[in-house]
Amino acid sequence: MPLFGKSQKSPAELVRSLKDAVTALERGDKKAEKAQEDVSKNLVLIKNMLYGTSDAEPQTDIIVAQLAQEMYNTNLLLLLIQNLNRIDFEGKKDVAQVFNNVLRRQIGTRSPTVEYICTKPEILFTLMSGYEHQEIASNCGTMLRECARYEALAKIMLYSDDFYNFFRYVEVSTFDIASDAFSTFKELLTRHKILCAEFLEANYDKVFSHYQRLLNSENYVTRRQSLKLLGELLLDRHNFSIMTRYITNPDNLKLMMNMLKEKSRNIQFEAFHVFKVFVANPNKPKPILDILLRNQDKLVDFLTKFHTDRSEDEQFNDEKAYLIKQIKELKPSEH
Amino acid sequence: MATSGNSWPNSQDDYELMEVIGVGATAVVHAAFCRPRGEKCAIKRINLEKWNTSMDELLKEIQAMSSCNHENVVTYYTSFVVKEELWLVLRLLEGGSLLDIIKHKMRISNCKHGVFDEATIATVLKEVLKGLEYFHQNGQIHRDIKAGNILLGDDGTVQIADFGVSAWLATGRDLSRQKVRHTFVGTPCWMAPEVMEQNHGYDFKADIWSFGITAIEMATGTAPYHKYPPMKVLMLTLQNDPPTLDTGAEEKDQYKAYGKTFRKMISECLQKDPTKRPSAPELLKHSFFKKAKDRKYLVQTLVSNGPSMETRVHKASKRQPGASGRLHRMETGEWVWESDDEEDEDDDAARDRPMNTLARADSSDSEGEELGEGRAGFTIGSLTGGEAPQIDLVLRMRNSKRELNDIRFEFSAGKDSADGIATELVGAGLVEARDAACIARHLQRLVDARLFPGSAPPPRSLTFRLDSADPAAPSDESTLLGFAQISVVD
Repeated sequence: MPLFGKSQKSPAELVRSLKDAVTALERGDKKAEKAQEDVSKNLVLIKNMLYGTSDAEPQTDIIVAQLAQEMYNTNLLLLLIQNLNRIDFEGKKDVAQVFNNVLRRQIGTRSPTVEYICTKPEILFTLMSGYEHQEIASNCGTMLRECARYEALAKIMLYSDDFYNFFRYVEVSTFDIASDAFSTFKELLTRHKILCAEFLEANYDKVFSHYQRLLNSENYVTRRQSLKLLGELLLDRHNFSIMTRYITNPDNLKLMMNMLKEKSRNIQFEAFHVFKVFVANPNKPKPILDILLRNQDKLVDFLTKFHTDRSEDEQFNDEKAYLIKQIKELKPSEH
Repeated sequence: MATSGNSWPNSQDDYELMEVIGVGATAVVHAAFCRPRGEKCAIKRINLEKWNTSMDELLKEIQAMSSCNHENVVTYYTSFVVKEELWLVLRLLEGGSLLDIIKHKMRISNCKHGVFDEATIATVLKEVLKGLEYFHQNGQIHRDIKAGNILLGDDGTVQIADFGVSAWLATGRDLSRQKVRHTFVGTPCWMAPEVMEQNHGYDFKADIWSFGITAIEMATGTAPYHKYPPMKVLMLTLQNDPPTLDTGAEEKDQYKAYGKTFRKMISECLQKDPTKRPSAPELLKHSFFKKAKDRKYLVQTLVSNGPSMETRVHKASKRQPGASGRLHRMETGEWVWESDDEEDEDDDAARDRPMNTLARADSSDSEGEELGEGRAGFTIGSLTGGEAPQIDLVLRMRNSKRELNDIRFEFSAGKDSADGIATELVGAGLVEARDAACIARHLQRLVDARLFPGSAPPPRSLTFRLDSADPAAPSDESTLLGFAQISVVD
């Protein structure tokens, strides 16, 4: 507790001051400058309460619990996020730190903030739309990935219409924002295996039609990243039925065959690891078989010359040899 | 997007590339002109096709930069993809690095009794400290503070650059839980003893040590033990009393022009016990920095006497191999020196280094995921929780002394990537950078075969030739000479 100077504000007072300041900032009247200062100051005070400083330990659990409770009661988190673009550079980072700390709060096995956000999903949607705005995108990303660690919150995001905006966000021109969005996107699709598999199964058509656009993106990074993630998704055993479905579609095979021929060796190599699944499938549907048969000689020739400098890579060469053998032995189906 | 006014364009056509000011293995840095803004800038072009590791590493460096907004920290404007390259648009600091300027001055004048006067040193270092203070407040450790990473603008601006190895001590995620890191990154001459020792982890204070060495460098032109090979530097740093201005002197009283206050400031930074070193804000109050003047002074003493950009570019092409690199400690406790890249590494060019050394660090508690993948540097794994199927693996290979080592780690399907693990192994100094690709490929094969069983039973182990193997030296698969083996452990 302070030995001199101003006495410390209680959590309730702090939350109220911050809320008033953000509201004033939102109004944008002539007091805005003062409001900006007050927002920053109060955010630092709250951050210090939660994290401590070099001179002070974090506050006790009771104080932190009061602080969190006040935040829920006043909907402060949502207000902060809605006005994030109005808060100054350091203040934006403080919002993310405060948010993430409060989010991680636990009482026994319960996560009260997660429960709170479940009743206020608007918080998640506001955060997701943060990728629309360059100046707050990475702050929102920091908070979103923390949210995505909780299955309940990941589920809300995955099953929302807003999820499909990610297919746009991961392709924006600013690399750090696109990559930030991609890591959140990947987190949502891979973190909670069973949830993800159920989601992909239930929304297969919609997700993969969007995904197709990423694989065909003009942007090299988008193409390479999405192809790599596709390989990871298909080879994850939780997603077995998704893989099975994916490899029965001849359009997917055609796309992979085209990607095998891309100029970029990295993309060729990633494509190989998706392509092999089509060939290794013991129950190839007729359209797939037809494509492979039609290209039988060309494929054998192509694969024989494919990445021959990886001579020390036995597994790759084994797989390649296996694929070549499989393709050579392909015969038109009986029926 | 939403912001207009002060934003930088993301289109290649808006920039005119000018002279090359730095070259690295996967990156080239140009001076450039941004047409719509009518402003100069620096563009770091990174060839992503040569970038075999995960894009996350790149993102981390860029995020570290973009989360900084301080006049003494390199200014990041934007980044975008051009064909197979990533272009980072940064502020152009025309003066080059402090090391360029030191070397130039030593060439054109007699610096036997010192390179710069105290006022110049105080002025530069005060700016560096302000940058460090901000950095540390932001939860980051730079880990590679040295003259080669301090850049100067034409107007006397001083900025800390090269975030390639900077670490997030607390990544805006949890400041309270992580106070120390356990990774070993830096350049040995500037490296704090506790970073070398690796026993207790280290914190912000490691930068203060490097800062003290940089102070010596500005006075004498070199780091104290610059003449010695890396292993020797390590030994000297750990065994001897901390270095002083006179450590590298050839004659008694060679540096007598430097006063007590300066020497005192250096010795406070170079205390072996990190807790005794001052923090950046404390150091800013040190009376030595009362000698600091303004930017104009630096323009006179440093920038106007510095080498031209052409000279620097020319210099950049003839660097000594092995002059810079990374020292790592093996699981067995022994140290290994790894040169970053024989062709493109030297202190001169450190800021142009490809951004491939953002080391992974172990967090001090078990909440490994706080720091990205957050695996321990040595024994990778055991920190990942959750449902993902895990495969225990062991990589058996010989170290630089040809002793067989087993490196154990886990692979969590869906969470880990073979490339990511290989990068970590490199980052942890356990394998050579040029072996990363072949290790990643074989790891991928082994893991794929288990996660996606094909017609044949999945192999239990794969033996392969290392890219680093000397073609002239005898190699033998059965004894793993020039070969390595990855196996699944039950």
